[in-house]
Amino acid sequence: MTGHRGTLSVVFRIVVTTLLIALASTACSSSEPVEGIDAPTPVTGLEVQDLLAGSPEPIVLNVWASWCTPCRSEAPLISRAASEFGDEVAFVGLDVRDTPEGATAFIGEFFPDAPILHLADSSGQIPSELGGSRGVPLTFFYRVGGELSYLHFGVIDERTLALQIDELVNR
Amino acid sequence: MEFTLLAAAAIAGAAAYAMLWWEAKHGNAARCTGNLWEAGVVSAVAGIFIGRIVAMLIDGVNPIAHPMDVILVRSGVSTAGASLGALAVFAWLSRKEPITMADGISAAALAGLAGWHAGCLVRGTCLGTASDLPWAMAQTGSDVTRHPVGIYAALILGAAAIGLAWWKAYRRPPAGAPAALAVIAAAGTRLVVEPLQPSISGGPVWFYATGLVVGVTAFVWAIVRR
Repeated sequence: MTGHRGTLSVVFRIVVTTLLIALASTACSSSEPVEGIDAPTPVTGLEVQDLLAGSPEPIVLNVWASWCTPCRSEAPLISRAASEFGDEVAFVGLDVRDTPEGATAFIGEFFPDAPILHLADSSGQIPSELGGSRGVPLTFFYRVGGELSYLHFGVIDERTLALQIDELVNR
Repeated sequence: MEFTLLAAAAIAGAAAYAMLWWEAKHGNAARCTGNLWEAGVVSAVAGIFIGRIVAMLIDGVNPIAHPMDVILVRSGVSTAGASLGALAVFAWLSRKEPITMADGISAAALAGLAGWHAGCLVRGTCLGTASDLPWAMAQTGSDVTRHPVGIYAALILGAAAIGLAWWKAYRRPPAGAPAALAVIAAAGTRLVVEPLQPSISGGPVWFYATGLVVGVTAFVWAIVRR
């Protein structure tokens, strides 16, 4: 077949151009505190474990940080899911290794009206204590009673999020 | 984890390439097989980026202010944006003989879509809504059995791709009819499987229904025009 070099060249140019624009613009990003938005509540690992064990509803625990670009990209999906399934499943956001200013700006941008309980872990140790890692984003799915149903490392897609919420609701 | 999307894309590309190779062996589109592959790959890549940008706009994220988000395609790609974007790019790339090129890539496009859906086995996204059917499957650690909806889509699209390739090779259909049938198969498959997919805000059923109507209209036009 002919034309493979041309194909690779065009694809290569698209990818390189996108990456260059993306890298050049990250220096321009900033976060500003938002009035009327409360900073996430600082918590310890034990308090989070008590919350997971004592909740009458299953819990989706999303670990994020305002400085994390992948977290930005999945935040609109998490917000939509919380608004859609907030009656059946409790949504908790755990902000790690972040500043209150960055956190409130992030919440104001993505979760202003979403029914999500936002907590803060300045040490970033709690996700590891729960069986995850120090990397973000992470999404934990807990059944009633605090049993871990599923743990997703990295950016979560809509199909996986919907399926795992359905697993929590269907049990 | 993030590389599973690339693996699914590789399966889709391999399936489309295999179909083009088979069609070239059987006398179809041999003259422009290389052009078809090139136009198909460029259209698919462009479609993914366009679909991602549309999804960001729908979510209220400014792609100019946050261009890094564009490459995070796992966060969501608008099906309508990606499909229309890929079709527009393909139409531009094949503007000299659009119907010939569209017919030429029709079976390979369906094979690629079948490969993409089969890639759910790598991505772990095959399962749909709960079901008690004998072939329903449960994910590890769960007792809730579900429709293997990704497999359904892969099988339907794969069968459509093979049937279309056979039709093109041995029955010489009228110009435009294979492309129209491919649109019917792609839109119809998604219309059938969408209700079996768990979803956050519902799939774009309106888009699949519109695609089905457009495909049927184009097919009738191609047959009558003959």
